[in-house]
This record gives sequence, C-alpha cells and structure tokens, in this order.
Amino acid sequence: MASVGDVATLLHDRIDDLARTIPDGALAVGVADYLSGFAYAYNGDRWFHAASTIKVAIFAAVFDAIADGRFTLDNRVHVRNRFLSAADGQPFRVQASRDADAEVHTAIGRTMRIGDLARHMIVTSSNLATNVLLDLIGRARARQSIERHGLSGIDVQRGVEDDRAFDAGCNNRITANGAVRLLRSIHDGRDFAPAASQTMIDVLLEQQFGGGILPGLPEPVQAVARVAHKTGDISTVSHDIGLVFLPGRPPYAIALLTESAGDATARIVALAAASRAVYEAVAAAGETTWK
Amino acid sequence: MEIAVAGTGLPIVDGLSLPAPHRDALKPAERVLTPDGRVCELPRYFYEVESWTVALDTPLTAHFGLWEFMDVDVREDPVMRAYPRYIPCAVAALATALELLRLDVGLPVRIAANGGYRSPSHRGNRVTSPHSWAVAANIYRIGAESLDSEDRIERYRALARRLLPFAWVRPYGTGVGTANDHIHLDLGYLTVLPRGASDPDHEALLDGDAR
Repeated sequence: MASVGDVATLLHDRIDDLARTIPDGALAVGVADYLSGFAYAYNGDRWFHAASTIKVAIFAAVFDAIADGRFTLDNRVHVRNRFLSAADGQPFRVQASRDADAEVHTAIGRTMRIGDLARHMIVTSSNLATNVLLDLIGRARARQSIERHGLSGIDVQRGVEDDRAFDAGCNNRITANGAVRLLRSIHDGRDFAPAASQTMIDVLLEQQFGGGILPGLPEPVQAVARVAHKTGDISTVSHDIGLVFLPGRPPYAIALLTESAGDATARIVALAAASRAVYEAVAAAGETTWK
Repeated sequence: MEIAVAGTGLPIVDGLSLPAPHRDALKPAERVLTPDGRVCELPRYFYEVESWTVALDTPLTAHFGLWEFMDVDVREDPVMRAYPRYIPCAVAALATALELLRLDVGLPVRIAANGGYRSPSHRGNRVTSPHSWAVAANIYRIGAESLDSEDRIERYRALARRLLPFAWVRPYGTGVGTANDHIHLDLGYLTVLPRGASDPDHEALLDGDAR
C-alpha cells in the first residue's frame, strides 16, 4: 500500500506532465479529501481569471447576506439589465446572445425570487442573474463576506460581462487553493447554517454543464458519482471546481484551473485527465492511514 | 384614522395618524429639499390597501390596476412591503395619464418592478424622486417592444410629450436625468387632497379662527 507521500509524489508527476500538454499555458490543481485528509495543490496560489467559477463565491455571499438577515431566498428582486462598470461607473448590459440562460432575460422588468436567481446563476450559469444578485449584495459586501470566511485566493472585482472593466484589466480572479477553501467552506457548515450548506450543495449538484471533473472519472464511477460543481469558460480559460460525492465515503473537493491562448481543446482534455489523476490519488490515499 | 372612502372603494387615511413605523417609512407631509434646491412636501394622504388580492382587484382606470403601481422588490422598506400597504392618492392621477398613452398606442403598457410607487425609504430611491409621490412610472415594455433602445425610447417619448404636455419624460441617455432601459414619465410633485381632508397649509388658519 502506498503512503500518502507516495500518492502525492505520483500525483504531482502526473499533473506536471499534464501541465506540459497545455502550450504556453498553465494548469492548477487543488484537492482536499474528507476521508483520508489527503490534500494537494499544484500551482495552488497562481491567480487565474475566474470566469464563471466566481459565481460560486457570489452564491456563498448571497447565503452570507441571508444569514445576516438582509433578505431571504423567497424575497423578490427586480430583474433589471443595467449595471455600472467597475472600471468607470458607466452603465452596461448583459447581452442575451452571450448568456447561457435565456429564462432570466424574459423576466426583465419584473421580479424574481432570490432563490430562483441564485439557482439560475449556478445551474445554467446565468450572467444576468449573477449581476442582479451581485448588485443586490454589493461588491464591497461580497468582498467582505469572502474576507470574513478567510477565503484568500478568491477575488471578486466586478460583475460578469463588464467589458470596460475587462479592457482595463479589472477581473475576477481565483486560485486553486482559494477554490478548494471556498468549496470546503460551503461543505463544512462552519460558516453557514447546515440547511444553507445543504441547499448550496443541492444547487451545485444540479449543474447543467459537463465540465471536466465528471468526464475524467472512470466510467463505472461516473455512473455512481455525484458532482456538485461549477464550470468557468472564456476564450482563454477552462475551469471546473466542485465536490465529488462517491457512494460510501465523504466527498473530496477539487479545483481544476487551466489557461492558454487559442483553442480550448487542450485545456478541456487536461481538465478531464487531471480529474482522473486526482480521483486515482484520492482513491489510493483513502486506503492509507493519514499521518 | 380613515377619513374617506375613495371611488376605488379603498379607505383613505391621513399618514400623520399612522403608527410610528409607518410614519417613519412614509414621512407623510415631510418637507424635503430637491437636488435643485426646491422644497417639496411628501404626500400626506394614502389609499390603504388591505392585501395583494385587494390590489389586484382594484382598477384605477380601464387598463391599469392598482397592483401595477405597487410591485416593489426587497429594496423596499419591510414595513412598506407588509400589509396593509399605503399608496399616495395621486397614483390615480398617474394611472389616468398612462391611460391616455395606453389608449393612443392600443397596446399594453407595462410598468417595471420598483417603477411605480416607491416609498421614501426604498433603498433604490432618492427621497425626492417623484416615485415617492406615486406620480412616476418606469415603462419597460409597450406591446411586444422592450424600451431599451434610443429609437424606441425617443419615439414613445415624443408621443408621451404630445399626449401629456404636463408630464416630464426623461430623454434617452446614460447620464443623470436620462434613461436607456425604460421610459420614465412623471407628473412632478403632485399631491392629492381627498374630500373630507384638510389642506395642511390651511389648518393653521383654522386654528386662528378657533382662537
């Protein structure tokens, strides 16, 4: 039986090889296994453009605001497609043609439940829902929420589709270690009421986008695994972060972040391969005694 | 204290007689300074709306129901989201103005959430916004058209100005005093003194007569 140290070394070598398959790019991996205590990071503190993975942090900030008594999931909020750029305060809109979720756009002018908007933000990655919720919470309050939970490695700077902020180099950022801390914060229930943690995990489990975590698992495992996750994709990054639930054991948290110019194929392949490597390491570590 | 029953069938109340939490949120008859340095007085008389069902069942004109002016979100003061709710009586004048527009276009005219009456305590409101008087409407859709482009906003703005020469309609734009995702139409700082109520400015005279 391999020691945890051997497992980590083996995983490191495999991830290192995978990183080389992303030309002129970068790969970061973070893992924390609740069964064995196995934890591992590769490029764990390297910052990446967060893309849609930042929605998990905003999701958590929504629940933080609920815990503060600011509102409830049943409260309604005006769906207005008008936001102020973090770069210059000028208004901008989320283009329906660039949004994965059309349903929230049909509600413009009316109100939606905060719980429904949060679900759209995660499950179908609605950019409009994200900006409506971030507007409601406030950027400063979202950042305070992250700081309060000690979630270094998560940097909420702005709403999504804020092109002027993007051009000015003002972007939401994430590290693999930050993503794992965020996922653990959601799972552990230390920072949130148990019911809130369960609600967040249930919504993440409904994720409609495939990502790289689940496709990377061995086929028989895919059939029984449940992955509570969020993907993030723009022209230069492909990410997937989540909690992997396997039968008969506690979950493991995993963050897979990739960056490269050009075609996304190499990034997507690397995500799945990294997921497989992590799964095998976690499986091996789970058979060892943690020291 | 109920002072009258309006043609709508709704009780009309003097805001100054409401419980303290409501007075704090509604600021009835409070004088406020507008951004251009003018003094305006917030509404004092309100329709009392017992429930959302009552709002749904209360027409103000042929095409506008009271509920359309009461749709607010979580940014509204919690006291103002709980029933009974209180809406300044001038909302009927706003509905009448919008009815003229509705009849001319022959299409449904949709008021946005938070785009009808907002109390002075609404977190998305300036206290001096005409929305605090229930005489402003943010129209986000007419028929099937979303009012989110310059040509649509300016087209309907021109129409509204022709039909409602007493109204202010914001031009298209992204700066202060403009709008780019709705038509903002308001009647200024109109207040309504219902039958059975005293004009607050004349109450001092009454006191004088009594002496």
